[in-house]
Amino acid sequence: MATPDRFRLDGQVVLLTGAGRGLGRAMALSYADAGAMVAGASRTLSQLEETADLVAERGGEAISIATDVTDPAAVEAMVAETIDRFGRIDILMNNAGGGAEGDGAPLEQLTDEQWRWGIDMNLTSQMLCARTVLPHMTERGSGVIINVASGFGLRGGRDNWMYVSAKAGVVNLTRSLAVTYGPAGVRTNCIAPGIFPHTPQALERWRGGRYIPIGRAGVAWEMGPLAVFLSSDASAGISGETIAQDGGGLAAIGPTGWAPRVRLTEPT
Amino acid sequence: MSEFVPTPNPERPDDPFLLRGRVALVVGAGDPVGRASAVALAQTGADVAVASLRAGTQEVVRVNSVANEIWSLGRNNVAITLDATDGNSVDAAIARASSELGRLDILVNAADLPVAAPIDELSPSDWQAILAANLLGPAMLASAAARVMRVNGYGRIINVVSVLAARGVANTSAYAAAHAGVLALTRSLSQEWARAGITVNALQVGIYEGQHGFGDDPDAVAQVARMLPAKELVKPEDVGAAVVGLAADSGFITGETIAVDGAATARV
Repeated sequence: MATPDRFRLDGQVVLLTGAGRGLGRAMALSYADAGAMVAGASRTLSQLEETADLVAERGGEAISIATDVTDPAAVEAMVAETIDRFGRIDILMNNAGGGAEGDGAPLEQLTDEQWRWGIDMNLTSQMLCARTVLPHMTERGSGVIINVASGFGLRGGRDNWMYVSAKAGVVNLTRSLAVTYGPAGVRTNCIAPGIFPHTPQALERWRGGRYIPIGRAGVAWEMGPLAVFLSSDASAGISGETIAQDGGGLAAIGPTGWAPRVRLTEPT
Repeated sequence: MSEFVPTPNPERPDDPFLLRGRVALVVGAGDPVGRASAVALAQTGADVAVASLRAGTQEVVRVNSVANEIWSLGRNNVAITLDATDGNSVDAAIARASSELGRLDILVNAADLPVAAPIDELSPSDWQAILAANLLGPAMLASAAARVMRVNGYGRIINVVSVLAARGVANTSAYAAAHAGVLALTRSLSQEWARAGITVNALQVGIYEGQHGFGDDPDAVAQVARMLPAKELVKPEDVGAAVVGLAADSGFITGETIAVDGAATARV
């Protein structure tokens, strides 16, 4: 197969959580451009329908499923509806997640409920979606799962508790899924996005890319090609891997990018 | 508050992986991964200079045959032999590639000189030869290429290393150390050129089909394949597709190492 064809997803079905806005919406458009049919899921149906309209404008096909990815019954229903409508699921894109109430608070003030909700939202949700889709994929002997983690899944952050813990869990969940279900034909990988601001306040805050080595923040559409690559045959050799897309942030030590000049000296 | 709408990729809204108009230099094109990378880039529309760090009639024949393959795909090409330990030779190679093909956008350091022997059998000159091919070459080529890439404010440097850069295997000391060095080089240069539009990434490749001394030994192949979830080795073409994925990236992935190893490093 010629290389460009390996990046195509024609006729495939992607179940994409968190598809109503931000990175999820951007990925929905890229999936449609690559030829996939998109089952978009999130809590807010109106946002999903806007995403589906944008997909349709590009000549793609998308359906919208209101769900709660922290609720096993809702996840079962989401998967069943996708298979009912499209007949199959080739790709699970575990994108839903986000900051939780209590993030940024001192640990002593964190309530048990806040901790559980943050872990449920960012880790348990991805396990539930994978667990529910996997029997379908292993039965067919093929499938791709992509989890979305964060740079905070690989490094710590000040007063950042549930999010760092859950996202680190996602990175290692990815590895065990790859090792366990690889023999059944299912590849699992993970994307660790850096700063992708998508509210006016966040856009303003990250203008000029302060603290980001390449000098700018990410733009949502940049998630699409990476998601398509990891979903397609082009990444056949990659499994269990987490790919950071962060403008060079994780390769650096904090905001320090440059060493002063130090000359090679002769022994004295 | 107005709803956020993702900006489509302004350069190639239809196909994020199209490399038409780009020029690549693939070093190590006589080796399986270099050859597959050169062909994958050409299939995706790039013009490709193919180079080898090794002199010798057989090697020239191999590299010329890759150049012919690129020609048959309708892409411009040039075949080059260079000495990575000679700065003038490196500069001349970069100058030749960029002048004959009009520019230089992509450098793939894929030269592979695997050596496996107990360390007490390696002389200082053995070390120098191994480090020259596997570490000095990529460093000098990146340095010279970046001088040209800076002019356009655009560059994609992709260093291909072995999985031995990250995991210990007896009898691979010099080869492994050189490749681990390339990963450090990748992170450091990603910061050095972060504001110049040049990204620097690495592909960490598992033992692959046909790899000299590893992937061409039936016993070694069986032993490695047994521990991989997919029960088969990574193919050079899979690395080529990953090279295309990084070469076509929008520039937000830098300083990153991506394992193309069929989940070999995902497991304990």
